[in-house]
Amino acid sequence: MSSPLFGKFRSPDGKPHMLGAMQTLDVPMHRYADGEEVDYAIVGTGAGGGVLAQRLARAGFRVVTFDAGPFWDTERDWVSDEKGSHQLYWTNRRVTGGSHPLALGENNSGQGVGGSTVHWASFTPRLHPSDFHIHSLDGVGVDWPLDYADVRPYYELMELELPVSGPAYFPWGDPHGYPYGAHPMGGVGDALIRGCTALGIPVSAGGPVGILEGSRADRPHCIYRGFCIQGCKVGAKASTLITHVPDAIANGAEIRANCMVSRVALGSNRRVNGVFYFGPDGRELFQKAKAVVIAGYSIETPRLLLNSACDGFENGLANSSDTVGRYLMAQAGNVVLGRFDQPVRMYKAPPAHALTEEFYETDPKRDFARGFAIQTVGPLPISFAKQMMSAKGAWGWGLRRLLMDYNHWASFGLLGEILPHAENRVQLADEKDQFGLPVAKVTFNLGDNDKKLIDFGKNKVMEVMHAAGAEEVVQEARYAHLVGAARMGNDPQTSVVDRFGRTHDIANLFICDGSIMPTQGSANPGLTVMSLAARIADYLIIQGNAIFASDKRDMQTSPIRYDLSPPDTWGHGMPRPVNHLVS
Amino acid sequence: MATPEADGVPTAEEETPPSPGTSAERDLQAVDLDIREGRFQRWLALVAGLSSILSGGEVAYEHYKGSYSRRIMYTPVILSEILMVCGVGGFFSPRIARTLLPAVSAITLLDGTVGFYFHVRGVQRKPGGWRLPIVNIVMGPPLFAPLLFGISAYLGLIASFLRRNENGTAEGGILPLPAHARHWGKALGGKHEPIDPAQDVREGRFQRQMAAAAAVAAFLSGAEAWYSHYKNGFRYKVQYTPLVVAPMLMIAGAAAVKSVRVAHTWLPAISALAMLNGGVGFGYHARGVLRKPGGAKKLLYNITYGPPIFAPLLFAASGFLGVLASLLRRKPE
Repeated sequence: MSSPLFGKFRSPDGKPHMLGAMQTLDVPMHRYADGEEVDYAIVGTGAGGGVLAQRLARAGFRVVTFDAGPFWDTERDWVSDEKGSHQLYWTNRRVTGGSHPLALGENNSGQGVGGSTVHWASFTPRLHPSDFHIHSLDGVGVDWPLDYADVRPYYELMELELPVSGPAYFPWGDPHGYPYGAHPMGGVGDALIRGCTALGIPVSAGGPVGILEGSRADRPHCIYRGFCIQGCKVGAKASTLITHVPDAIANGAEIRANCMVSRVALGSNRRVNGVFYFGPDGRELFQKAKAVVIAGYSIETPRLLLNSACDGFENGLANSSDTVGRYLMAQAGNVVLGRFDQPVRMYKAPPAHALTEEFYETDPKRDFARGFAIQTVGPLPISFAKQMMSAKGAWGWGLRRLLMDYNHWASFGLLGEILPHAENRVQLADEKDQFGLPVAKVTFNLGDNDKKLIDFGKNKVMEVMHAAGAEEVVQEARYAHLVGAARMGNDPQTSVVDRFGRTHDIANLFICDGSIMPTQGSANPGLTVMSLAARIADYLIIQGNAIFASDKRDMQTSPIRYDLSPPDTWGHGMPRPVNHLVS
Repeated sequence: MATPEADGVPTAEEETPPSPGTSAERDLQAVDLDIREGRFQRWLALVAGLSSILSGGEVAYEHYKGSYSRRIMYTPVILSEILMVCGVGGFFSPRIARTLLPAVSAITLLDGTVGFYFHVRGVQRKPGGWRLPIVNIVMGPPLFAPLLFGISAYLGLIASFLRRNENGTAEGGILPLPAHARHWGKALGGKHEPIDPAQDVREGRFQRQMAAAAAVAAFLSGAEAWYSHYKNGFRYKVQYTPLVVAPMLMIAGAAAVKSVRVAHTWLPAISALAMLNGGVGFGYHARGVLRKPGGAKKLLYNITYGPPIFAPLLFAASGFLGVLASLLRRKPE
């Protein structure tokens, strides 16, 4: 029987470019000719670059977006395997140092279209209103040039576009609900709920996480197979690869994959006029552009600016303040592991599915400013082995025995705010990468407040783990999420960009990624990066040709545009208070 | 397996005069007579309204689990609330019972059918579609749930045909047939009013239809119980019981269509058993919700992801249909 009675299985090795199990990339991509000038050259396709490119393309701008890695076909390129997914990470050479050196790669930077969003766990909490004013409130860090109210409508919009699944009522920060329903719990989430409720700590079950809880159009719902951070082949987990990039292409944007941008070119009148990049064949090429947006995240963005040093900007492009590369932040990401009598099977369900932000805000009873969140994490066996080595010094036969016990362990993650320090920075090292470009040298130290916060936080997480019924509790010190290193602010002396991502030094050079965040809160930065990108896009669109023609800075905040979302944003999901959305 | 219900049903006579006895017995007999003669519009409207709360609650959290990812998923939630209002309204007002209640019930039944189509499609859309029927029925949208959702609408529709029991006598019969009932009667093949099917319902002579409805409802909810309990791997032995009771009720319902004897003996007995089973199941499901991590402290979340708390009561509803059928009269042969 050539055609089975109830239809054929969909063949994964058919011709279409697959983005998840059901979504295909059907539209041919527009290609700009060599030497053709475009409106925007965007460097990076992750949370910042992907959203920005989609919106600019939809508004009718001519956009070319570069990514150093490949354009993933999820069925062909990805495997549901911990070791087989190393290609998703930015594993080019980098130098790390300082008193608490960061591990770089799988945990904090991505390569390929979609950037880090293809391997994020997709936890998508918002920042709290207090996060925007920690200097005024707590005397630490720095205030944002924005208010929570500026970003809130963009948070709401992004929560629809991804969309975000989570409880109908999320009590912390600015209380809100989520458009998609909460996920069912895995073993780790059950443990977190048990531990928190035993201690009387409120806990959010089933989100907020950018993973579909019910299917939406051609994206199927989550099937709880647990390979979120190895690249979701199902297409249930949101990443700009499947949420925003297809719409950017449909609206005429060109995505140039496997193209490593080497420097931004400065033209006359202190304005940039394009980017140099290494094409897929390794030749250096030039793309002429009326404006350039860098969205390379907290290490590659400052590296590109520093590598673009030229006459007039000897310390690096847009670095007259000497702030480029400074105030790099990572979040304290200690992992606390507990052994349970009953099997937990933490490989099941997304790593991200429950959290508490009860300790998020500054508490005067504690001897440090700011706070932390407690989240579920579900390491697969290789990560688990690393954590066991680090947490228990396990090795050899002892490590093997522990690994055989994997099913009985649960793990919670601390997510603690580390304050911005000028000496935590990205610089250029003497070493060069495969393109002959100087690599980034990352220096990271903890301050006093950070150490106290981590100490208190990790003890609290261990307490919750004990309350959940764990018989043995261990922990590994670790850091997660990068932000900062090209921060925004009102003062050109102490910041790199203004509140619309425009560099203070160069009127047609923008930065649109996590590196512009002045502080980080205890929330995973992805949703905030996307929201800032959408906000920057609205600004660029309303400014129109003024960006290309003049150096004048209009600091008027433009109204949010609700007509630039990808298809299928509207008409799905839970009824929710849309008072901010309709006003 | 005779039960008190079966014993309490008068068998042959068309009219039973109020017999002497205690006042409670007299009340029971009066109620029985009302049902036999189709004078229970008020109560059936109320039952339709209240059962609509259950099916509405069930569909609300089930569709919440599906994140309302299609706009049409709101319709049963909204309709069940309207039906609830109409059912309760029908208890108080004959006008509502004869106009709004049947209209909303008909729309709800239609909605259930449309929902059934979407659920079939949902199973088909899963990887493998209907080529992997067991996996995809178990893991896909609950196939028969939209039809089960129609039970309360069916009750509402039936109620709209009935007479009211004001003053406990045949006075209810003075009101003319409602307009929609006349149309339905014609559509169903009746030639003139006194003998058309709508008039039969009006006078309580629809035991066969109700018994058939009980059998269908037992099939639907039994299938629901099968694939839902299968999902849990029949972890508890008691999870098999609805799978035993449902076929019994199906057979009894079908047999009652043929046999008046079965309608007055086995049908009420097995129906009562189904109601008991549903009640016990509700207890187990409630316990399951409370035993989830966080228990009552995460009540709403645990109701969403615990065992479907109202589902056993929908199973009991098919038993209710059977009990109701046993109390009705049959159309004269």
